[in-house]
Amino acid sequence: MTDNEKFSRREMIRSGVLGRWIENLLGQQSPAHDCQRDAHEPHLSPPPISSRRYPEKAADLPSGGPTRSRTSIPVLRPPGAIDEPSFLAECTRCDACLEACPHDAILHAPLRLREAAGTPMIDPMRQPCWMCDDRPCIGACEPGVLQHNRDDVMGTARITEETCLAYTGSFCTVCVEQCPVDGAITMTDGKPRIIEDKCTGCGVCQYVCPAPHNAILLMPALQRSVRTKPPGEVQHD
Amino acid sequence: MSTATTDRRTFLKTAALASATAAIAGERAFGLPVLNNDAASSVQWHKAPCRFCGTGCHVQVGVEDGKVVAIAGDQRADVNKGLLCVKGYHVGMILYGQDRLTTPLLRQGNEYVPISWEQAIDTVAQRIMNAPERFAFYGSGQWTIPEGFAAQKFMKGGLGNNHIDPNARLCMASAVTGFLATYGVDEPAGCYADLDNCDVLIMWGNNPAEMHPVLFSRVIDRRSRGDEITLIDISTRRTRTTEHCQHYLEMKGHGDLAIANGIAHLLLKNDTYDKQFVEQYCNFRAQGDTPNLFGEAISFDEYRKRMEKYTPEYVEDCSGVPADKIRMLADLFGRRDVRITSLWCMGMNQHTAGTAINCLVHGVHLLSGHFGKPGDAPTSLTGQPSACGTVREVGTLAHALPGGRVVANAEHRKQAEQYWNVPEGRINPQPGYHTVKMWEQFCTPASAGGDIDTLWVQVTNPGQTLPNLNKLFNAKKNQPEKFLIVSEVYPTATTQLADLILPAALWVEKNGIFGNSERRTQQWFKMVDPPGSARDDCWQTIAVAHRLLELGHSGMRDRDGKFIFNVADDNGNDVPAWEWEHYYDVNVDKALFEEYRQFTRLKHKDLAPYEEYVRERGLRWPVVQQDDGTWRETKFRFVSFDDPYVEDGRDIQFYHSTTNDDRAQIWFYDWQPPAEVPDESFPFMLTTGRVLEHWHSGTMTRRVGPLSRAMPRAYVEVNPDDAMTLGIKTGDMVLVESRRGGIELPAWINGRGRPPRGTVFVPFFDETVLINDVTLDAHDPFSKQPDYKKSAVRVRKISG
Repeated sequence: MTDNEKFSRREMIRSGVLGRWIENLLGQQSPAHDCQRDAHEPHLSPPPISSRRYPEKAADLPSGGPTRSRTSIPVLRPPGAIDEPSFLAECTRCDACLEACPHDAILHAPLRLREAAGTPMIDPMRQPCWMCDDRPCIGACEPGVLQHNRDDVMGTARITEETCLAYTGSFCTVCVEQCPVDGAITMTDGKPRIIEDKCTGCGVCQYVCPAPHNAILLMPALQRSVRTKPPGEVQHD
Repeated sequence: MSTATTDRRTFLKTAALASATAAIAGERAFGLPVLNNDAASSVQWHKAPCRFCGTGCHVQVGVEDGKVVAIAGDQRADVNKGLLCVKGYHVGMILYGQDRLTTPLLRQGNEYVPISWEQAIDTVAQRIMNAPERFAFYGSGQWTIPEGFAAQKFMKGGLGNNHIDPNARLCMASAVTGFLATYGVDEPAGCYADLDNCDVLIMWGNNPAEMHPVLFSRVIDRRSRGDEITLIDISTRRTRTTEHCQHYLEMKGHGDLAIANGIAHLLLKNDTYDKQFVEQYCNFRAQGDTPNLFGEAISFDEYRKRMEKYTPEYVEDCSGVPADKIRMLADLFGRRDVRITSLWCMGMNQHTAGTAINCLVHGVHLLSGHFGKPGDAPTSLTGQPSACGTVREVGTLAHALPGGRVVANAEHRKQAEQYWNVPEGRINPQPGYHTVKMWEQFCTPASAGGDIDTLWVQVTNPGQTLPNLNKLFNAKKNQPEKFLIVSEVYPTATTQLADLILPAALWVEKNGIFGNSERRTQQWFKMVDPPGSARDDCWQTIAVAHRLLELGHSGMRDRDGKFIFNVADDNGNDVPAWEWEHYYDVNVDKALFEEYRQFTRLKHKDLAPYEEYVRERGLRWPVVQQDDGTWRETKFRFVSFDDPYVEDGRDIQFYHSTTNDDRAQIWFYDWQPPAEVPDESFPFMLTTGRVLEHWHSGTMTRRVGPLSRAMPRAYVEVNPDDAMTLGIKTGDMVLVESRRGGIELPAWINGRGRPPRGTVFVPFFDETVLINDVTLDAHDPFSKQPDYKKSAVRVRKISG
């Protein structure tokens, strides 16, 4: 057997990470679109069922759930956002959170997101949420659709092993190092693993992933809990 | 699974097109490499070695509409077998940074004025013509072989001026002196196949998981397939490599000298050294009163006596590595049933005793007979793509001539003059200035004895990479009589002080040949045009040479009165290659390479004809023609089973032995402390290096979006206990300050690397925080290579 033959099918798969550069990947596509598209890649193993996961198929959705509604396109909201129907109803589009964000990570949802258009969202490939300790975006939100002291989950990240450099024979530790949430990405034998219970979906890992084909899927939270404080309460904690 | 397979096939078929359109349309598409050009695709694929490190991976470059649009690992390449590292996958993007230099720029006061190439070339030539002996040429291990050969010939065979040196002086000069002092000839005897065959891999101050990731992948891949391989990391800090190693031996700076001696001591004491190997193939050597690379013979008994004090306990004192670990290493070397490969790079080379530690590690392998079998090898790695090919083989060093020759030797000079067809006596017998000296002379006013006035820099960034920048580079400021010429692709720390900037072609914008760490010579063709009026470095050298000829410089003519860079086409008609419009009428690279090939046979570094390299993914020298006309590469030198230059009936023959008896030299060197050690005022040891995502000074990789986002800026790694004492948290701004200068940068605690107490680490890729304002310019006495790894600093929190 020659040396070349020894490098087997695994080699082919590992070298399958074709180097391409695609600047400004997003801005063309919404994260939601990405998720749907990538979730249907047939070579991905089915994800474990989790309430915080974006469902893979329509059949996975709770019957009579929000799929029928025009508000079903999941949008990556800033941290502390209340449930989507209330958010859409109560967000005043005042842009205070956009202005408060020190990283300029919050932007207006584009028109193609229909009724969500103009509301605040995060496009992590442009600029992710860096999870500031004091959450200035929440502090700035007057109508209280962003709230302190609640489940901060914006979504969940998932690693596509087929395109992750660490899983395909190369070395990379960037997502583990730059993740702003303690313990949300761990590393075993040089390979990163996302701990879903801790992941907030901030999108930093997706933003920093240097793989030629970005190895992070980011699924905006499909369901967020309803508000815990009445509207209008001052946000000072 | 069947669905997945079908789909992979579908992807394979469409990938080339998809990747091309993806790059253009900005759409996200899944890509797998298709190396056989699909009829449906308009992407043309060509081979090239990667532009970055000395590993020498081959990539497939996808070109469409005059632009590089895709990169894939080359599965036909023996080095990387289709795999690339994170930088390699993005290598095409280095061509398309927004601020490429596209026109020659002349400094006028505080401004740069665009000028024509004619003016630019004339300006350089006039500066040289005025004072040819006060001109110096500074290049690098990123020069292609023909570029380096042209610069070498222009300087030594044309101007009779030896002030040509490369940045590789800062990078692998101590490896060269180590090989020369031990074997009498440079470069590793083994090759990367050693990594596939060793049972034990010892990394001496080496972090291949970040610096040579594809090579380290070869090792880790073996492990994942079930091979048992023991990885030992001897280092001054924990790195990403450490995580994969069974043993981590944390040493103090210069502890490596003591560790190597400790191994030798135990091999002798336990009688586990390889007596037969030593008797047949080795001499013993030490420095006498006038230290040099030949040294003086010592007896085996004398060697044994000098090694007596290096008991495991004494070694522990010197190195900080526990005595038991020294015994563990010595036990491994004492075994005949395991194969041991040693790897090293900057840790042993950027060392004020760099020659010594290189010799000592070779010595341990020779003494124990762990040499000359696949997997049993002392192997140094290089950090630049052609540090071996251009610097070490073409000899673009102040003292050297192509093919392992030196200017100080009259016979060598005569030989070179003959091959170059230049008059006898043209080559100056006096070695020129080595890097540190060259820049010191350039930065010193003429009135104070600085006798270099004009300095031309090609393919490197000394304004960032020289040590002690304030002394060796920044001092050039405000000295109007000094003139700095910089051929570059992007604005850099170096162009900031340039008086004339020449825009250069990069990588596949020109023809080229590199030589990697394992003696592999690799060729590629120009695939796309450079932007604007950027032009090849090699053309720039030839054009200046021709302008000098027009100005009447006699050195630009050969014995027959012809231009020294005269190139003819296939029909024998001269081509005016110094005119850019005609430069690609003929393959100038090939012409220079064929001229250079003559030199390579002088010291058994034989290269094959250019056309052989066009076909292959590189060949390892010596490449020798077989009876059937084919060309055969050599994987393992000095051994009868592979090296054609070993005489019949000999198993091992060191045919360039410095003692002319076919034996290698086992050296003795004493342990010595670093040039600067921490004290009360400067209590920390600063060590510097690279990171995985960035290459060299970051001028290319920092312009690649994904790499820049992954590693946006430099930082200082601090030990958590030190950080607590100093009140520093991750992200706090910290001042790192030495006797020479200070910089501010954010702290990273428990980050990628984990220094022990008393040590801090800063990477050098970031031009916004130049750590070389802080480093020391002390250097090895033989190789003249500075020690970037050990500077005493103090550390203070600025803001949190």
